[in-house]
Amino acid sequence: MRLPSFILSFLLFPVLLMAQEERKTVHLDDVQVVANRRLKDVGVEMTKLDTVILHDNISLSMADILSKNSTVFVKSYGRATESLVEFRGTSPSHTQVTWNGMRINSPMLGTLDFSTIPAYFIDEANLYHGASSINLIGGGLGGAIEMKNKPVEEKGWGAQFVQGIGSFDTYDDFLRLTYSNDRLSSSTRIVYSTADNDYRYTNYDKKTDVYDADGNWLRSYHPEERNKSGYFDDFHVLQDLFYDAGNGNQLGLSLWYTHSKRGLPFLSVDYKDDSDFKNEQRLNTLRGVLSWEQRKEQTTLSVRGGYSYSDVGYEYFTTRQEVATSITNSQSYSNTAFLQANLDWMLSPQLMLMGGADFYYTHVNSHDRSPFHIGKNFDKGRPEYHANLQARWRPLPIFSLAGVIRQEVYRDDFVAPIPALFADLILYQPWNLVLKASVARNYRYPSMDDLYFQPGGNPDLSPEKGFTYDAGLEMGVKKKRWTLRANATLFDSHISDWILWTPNTKGFWEPSNVKKVHNYGLEAMLDGSVLLAKDWKLSLLANFAWTPSKNVGEDINDNDASYGKQLCYVPKVSANVNARLQWRSWTLAYQWNHYSERYTTTSNEVNYITGRLRPYYMTDLSLEKTFRIRAIDCAVKGVVNNLYSTEYVTVLSRPMPRRNYEIYLTIKL
Amino acid sequence: MKNHHFIISSQLFVYMLLLASVLTAACSGSDDGVEEEVFSSSPEGVFILNEGNYNSGNATLSYYNPDTKTVQNGVFQRANGRKLGDTGQSIIIWDGVAYIAVENSGIVWGIDVETFKVKGQVVASSETKIINPRYVHIVNSQKAYVTDLYSPYVNVFNPKTFTWTKAISTQQAESKGYCSTEEMVQVGKYVYTNCWSYSNKILVFDTERDEMVQEMVLSSWQPKSMKVDKNGKLWVITDGGYTMEDESFGDDVPHLYRIDALTGTVELDQALDTDEANVQIEMNGEKDTVYIINNDIYRMSVTDSHVPVRPFISAPVDSNGKRHKLYGIGVHPRNGEIYVADAIDYAQSGVVYRYTASGTLIDQFRVGINPNHFAFR
Repeated sequence: MRLPSFILSFLLFPVLLMAQEERKTVHLDDVQVVANRRLKDVGVEMTKLDTVILHDNISLSMADILSKNSTVFVKSYGRATESLVEFRGTSPSHTQVTWNGMRINSPMLGTLDFSTIPAYFIDEANLYHGASSINLIGGGLGGAIEMKNKPVEEKGWGAQFVQGIGSFDTYDDFLRLTYSNDRLSSSTRIVYSTADNDYRYTNYDKKTDVYDADGNWLRSYHPEERNKSGYFDDFHVLQDLFYDAGNGNQLGLSLWYTHSKRGLPFLSVDYKDDSDFKNEQRLNTLRGVLSWEQRKEQTTLSVRGGYSYSDVGYEYFTTRQEVATSITNSQSYSNTAFLQANLDWMLSPQLMLMGGADFYYTHVNSHDRSPFHIGKNFDKGRPEYHANLQARWRPLPIFSLAGVIRQEVYRDDFVAPIPALFADLILYQPWNLVLKASVARNYRYPSMDDLYFQPGGNPDLSPEKGFTYDAGLEMGVKKKRWTLRANATLFDSHISDWILWTPNTKGFWEPSNVKKVHNYGLEAMLDGSVLLAKDWKLSLLANFAWTPSKNVGEDINDNDASYGKQLCYVPKVSANVNARLQWRSWTLAYQWNHYSERYTTTSNEVNYITGRLRPYYMTDLSLEKTFRIRAIDCAVKGVVNNLYSTEYVTVLSRPMPRRNYEIYLTIKL
Repeated sequence: MKNHHFIISSQLFVYMLLLASVLTAACSGSDDGVEEEVFSSSPEGVFILNEGNYNSGNATLSYYNPDTKTVQNGVFQRANGRKLGDTGQSIIIWDGVAYIAVENSGIVWGIDVETFKVKGQVVASSETKIINPRYVHIVNSQKAYVTDLYSPYVNVFNPKTFTWTKAISTQQAESKGYCSTEEMVQVGKYVYTNCWSYSNKILVFDTERDEMVQEMVLSSWQPKSMKVDKNGKLWVITDGGYTMEDESFGDDVPHLYRIDALTGTVELDQALDTDEANVQIEMNGEKDTVYIINNDIYRMSVTDSHVPVRPFISAPVDSNGKRHKLYGIGVHPRNGEIYVADAIDYAQSGVVYRYTASGTLIDQFRVGINPNHFAFR
């Protein structure tokens, strides 16, 4: 296997721009030691993504980060198109997501499109797997993701600009202006990303026939086509303000606005001409969270208020004269107000009590003005009240227990209490080896589309119910020349009353509580770094997940062959490896990502002609060089995505791009 | 010294790059399509069109040999090395060619019924007014009509050459989805089509002038299926539309109509007692008997005045007492055998049941996802 020389040239492009070589000290990563283990984290299975991972490339969305650095499965419909996140083989609506404490799942769908979140906007992300999500929020039958913005650490004024240029006319611009002093921290971030995204691919779903002059068939071939209607044009701005008012009081404000216009790519089996059609989604989102936090010796009190506005338009129309102009013209407006109060009370080093209450009020107005739709989808408001009590106790230095109970009320509908128990046992202190276990009952209340969407919505739906058991080992060692962190967790989860939308005979879809799913498996992580020699450091992060996710619901009838079968599109195995080799100011990064085969039928028919998607292995490679010109820190980075130009799909009839390139120039003052 | 160190380290970097490539070289894989197979199908056989799932591109075609009781699935892709497309809507056979409308792909395929090889196609290109083709009707050897879910036109093409020739306006207002046209039947020089999506109309086209000349308005909404009997009577079944919170059209009650095609006189209008049945209608080869799916299968003579109370064939019920949902129906035009499909959960291979003309189960077999239409060689 020889790498094409131009890839090497591309990756070594930073060499051409190299200024004075700078000696840069490389450090080992920190490892949390048992003695510092927070009572708050008792029994919790959490994956932490820090800024090194989150701020890798400006062009990366949170969907890209999660697929490459964690065990979750990202179901992506293409580059810069809807990307949904599934923990442990559950559904995307079973992943609850908070941003600075406020839940940001779509109130209509219950899901979140992670492709619309630039990873550069998030300073810390924590993934709570399974039962552990109950520490954060209810309803995360698969898990929960907590995203945070943090005050600027460097004092004084700062500025950072990143220009990215990539294949398919992709341009990414990032500007960050910061100011920080002893009390105030301000950060303004702007991202603009645009691309034609019309990558070429060999369309194995079509064939072009070649005929001779007499009309006799000669041969046929799979045509080279381009990704039709895949353009995007995204603009984001995020303002963070933090003020230290003294006496442990901190005020915070985060405001985030997004405007996104994206073409929805045509299927590979679509024969229509994209110049005749416009298929576009337009999104405007404004989110804001105002927070006050008071830290005292034994207590931390926090109060947050937030607001989220979103309008999503989806339009599909033909520009051909005299042919129907508007096939879909839907518009949804949602407004959510949010209030939250939390109290952490450290009664003693061995005992901690926590309590909190959340209030959400969401109003959604959804309609479709196309002639092929009649009436409003719905126009409803819904209040939600959540409360939680948590107790954490360390009766022995090596043993800790925690209990959490949540209560959620939607309108006047009391969901059954959500309880969870966690335990921690230190097995071997020098390795920080800890045995963790948890058990939880969880409920997810139906989304507003599930209940109210006209036609089809089902107001009689019950909440989805989950039962989860986790047990795992975690360790962390730091030596002079190397660090190692590892964990492995076995889990077993049962979800019943799973909400599924199925077509009915009138031409629309309806949800019902039909499915019962058994998920079980293993999640493992290995994270280490080693100083190979002077100025040389090798870091490795590897994730592995084995997640059988089986339908155990009642058969529809005796023809139903789906019992005991893996859920559609959920891979049984996913794995990724991230290796970074640092030498002084150079970093060579290698990312490898694998999903095992995925079935497209509930009966897992491998002989069915479109019954499965092949396993895929994705490799990305990047080389970065940092240097300094006077007082300006600079970096140049070359990235090769899909190094081996693998032809693959993650969803049927949605081809993904082959090998593509990006280059980034960073200037930091 | 520093430069020397740098050169060595740079070489090491290049080496690392190459090593990384070697480590993963064996890991790449690609999907390079399906090898084409050569078919020579039985002269007597049944095509089953499997709709697939919307937006998934997994519509397939099955071929069943009633003599050997064997079925071949995915024959379109196996014979042609390409996918059938997204949302297979209908199939008819005329003069040795099966015409398959694949709605969301914007294509009508013509395949040889013996080899399953593509003979031609009409696509929703800029020159046509096709958007989502639903049904094909052969008027004569020079003219075929294509109805459409979204286009306010019935498109016309030459079924021999697959050349698009013109489009006929439905002359319907754009609002309320009146542009939708569905199944077609012909009486004399007139072609009738039912407008299903948010409509309660039947449109009449003059095939000599290629014009929409008349429309009939039904008392019930969403005429879903239409056939014609030997007496020139239209048999129409509606799904009744549905009611919503703010607005409604229809009352959710399906109706069966018999209408004199030439005069437009409604001779029979019967509300069907059903809840969520997938109502469909089919006619035998002699066109003297009507078959209706309404949970079970009902049969009636074209001269009967109402649907019988007892079903002709009850939907299969399994050992746990669960009734199978019947999704599509076809009646063999020569021997009267009845084929019905069970779509199960709409996301796995469906099952087709084959009954004798007298209603005895002969065979059952697995086909593709959401089997919805049958065509008989």
